[in-house]
Amino acid sequence: MERLFEGIPLGEVSTSMTINAPAAMLLAFYVLVGERQGVAPDALAGTIQTDILKEYIAQKEWCFPVDPAMRLVTDMVEFSTANMPRWHPISVSGYHIREAGATAAQELAFTLKNGFTYVEHALERGLDVDAFAPRFSFFFNAHIDFFEEIAKYRAARRIWAREMKETYGAKRPESMRLRFHTQTAGVSLTAQQPLNNVVRTAIEALAGVLGGTQSLHTNSYDEALALPTEEAVSLALRTQQVIAHETGVANTVDPLGGSWFVERLTDEIEADAYDYFRRIDELGGMVEAIRQNFPQREIGEAAFRYQLELEAGERKVVGVNAYRQEDEEEMPILHIDPALESKQLERLARTRESRDGAAVEEALQRLKEEAGSGGNLMYPMIEASRALATEGEMVSALQEVFGTYSETPVF
Amino acid sequence: MSEAAEAGRPEGRKIRVVVAKPGLDGHDRGAKIIARALRDAGMEVIYTGLHQTPEQIAETVIQEDADAIGISILSGAHMTLVPRILDLLADQGVDDVLVTVGGTIPSRDVEGLKEAGVAEVFTPGASTEEIVGFIREGVRANGSDSGG
Repeated sequence: MERLFEGIPLGEVSTSMTINAPAAMLLAFYVLVGERQGVAPDALAGTIQTDILKEYIAQKEWCFPVDPAMRLVTDMVEFSTANMPRWHPISVSGYHIREAGATAAQELAFTLKNGFTYVEHALERGLDVDAFAPRFSFFFNAHIDFFEEIAKYRAARRIWAREMKETYGAKRPESMRLRFHTQTAGVSLTAQQPLNNVVRTAIEALAGVLGGTQSLHTNSYDEALALPTEEAVSLALRTQQVIAHETGVANTVDPLGGSWFVERLTDEIEADAYDYFRRIDELGGMVEAIRQNFPQREIGEAAFRYQLELEAGERKVVGVNAYRQEDEEEMPILHIDPALESKQLERLARTRESRDGAAVEEALQRLKEEAGSGGNLMYPMIEASRALATEGEMVSALQEVFGTYSETPVF
Repeated sequence: MSEAAEAGRPEGRKIRVVVAKPGLDGHDRGAKIIARALRDAGMEVIYTGLHQTPEQIAETVIQEDADAIGISILSGAHMTLVPRILDLLADQGVDDVLVTVGGTIPSRDVEGLKEAGVAEVFTPGASTEEIVGFIREGVRANGSDSGG
């Protein structure tokens, strides 16, 4: 990581890290890179995703069973509340839930329920809600159903504010404010007639902006085919810039508030979310619902329904099941040089050779002891990072204590 | 005559398909949809779950005495993982399993995969109907080839 940020002063930038299962180790690395640059943790700004619940639900990358994984999340919230006031230790994410096939209402409901679950764990740790809640952030999908998406964002803000105030006793307005990042829907992109994706992405991005997003990621038109080319990424960025600087849509807060249609959709999706909250509570909360495969099954059903609608022609996707074009020309796509992998492996091997092996062993041993005893693991992880222990070594050490996770898939 | 008998397998035996997710790729939306569509079409589906090694997948194919395997990959590692699975199957003397691959596979890699022994590659936009049909026909053809 130090190499990645070479020449980038961490005190002057804000960094967003999309990492979940091993998020605690990556945060430890970031703190250490800051330290080596002479930047204290309290001057580090940024966001780390950390949302492990949606991993079990949708994105499916995990290292540990649910309970120790939740402990690590809470360790990060506790650590950054005490030491990193400019840091967002979690970005509660609906994006992957939606990409896995969820409806807008499911995305909203499962994301917010995950958010409340993190709040409850932090409260159980003894943290003050108004100390940590203002640093929570969110991440939603912008799918293609324009008004439904706008209603989803509006309902998300309404529900979060109400529950933070009434259920969790927040007093500061900042604790009730739901701030979110939006990414346009990867799953709405088509491999057929890929330039059509520029249009889809622009419309989805507009929904995000009209719905009040704080930050935005626009997908590139070739992402149904491969990782994007430089040209496709530039066009995605320009799409945002046109919306931001030319259209004027960002000049008004909640510009669709009061529209009978958007208000009604907002009420409906809010009611759907509360219905899911009730069903999850009946199962014993989100962690238990995940163990029982409830959100996984709901999403799988929705994904299958979507596919059936598509194949029956009830749902039209231009270029896929409507307005098809035969003999499409192939688009140039990005190819990754396989040599990059061996280069990185060589670098890793060099680092392992040059470090003090005994110090690494000792640091990993301390990490395991702390894992067994229940202390905040951020501190021994930062120590282990200082000794140049790798992410993989820390994960393996913790797995010796915590075990691993495997799901019983439902389909 | 039932489909099973037509395919030269014991009377009443359903087509057995292993749906496999190799590597670190967690994108299982497609694999689960395919698994369900194959099951709804009357096949016996064994879904491996996520994060499988090529060794685990080959082992499952052998243990389950599968007629076909659908390998789902959206990570870009198909040119490494698929040939490894094929080699492992060949090492064990398994040569009558219909191998299909699904995912974001660039067209230039499709030929390479087919040369390595993959019967068909399904890319974004393929319908479940098309996939079910291909596996049913392919297994039937394999059954009559081997005279089994």
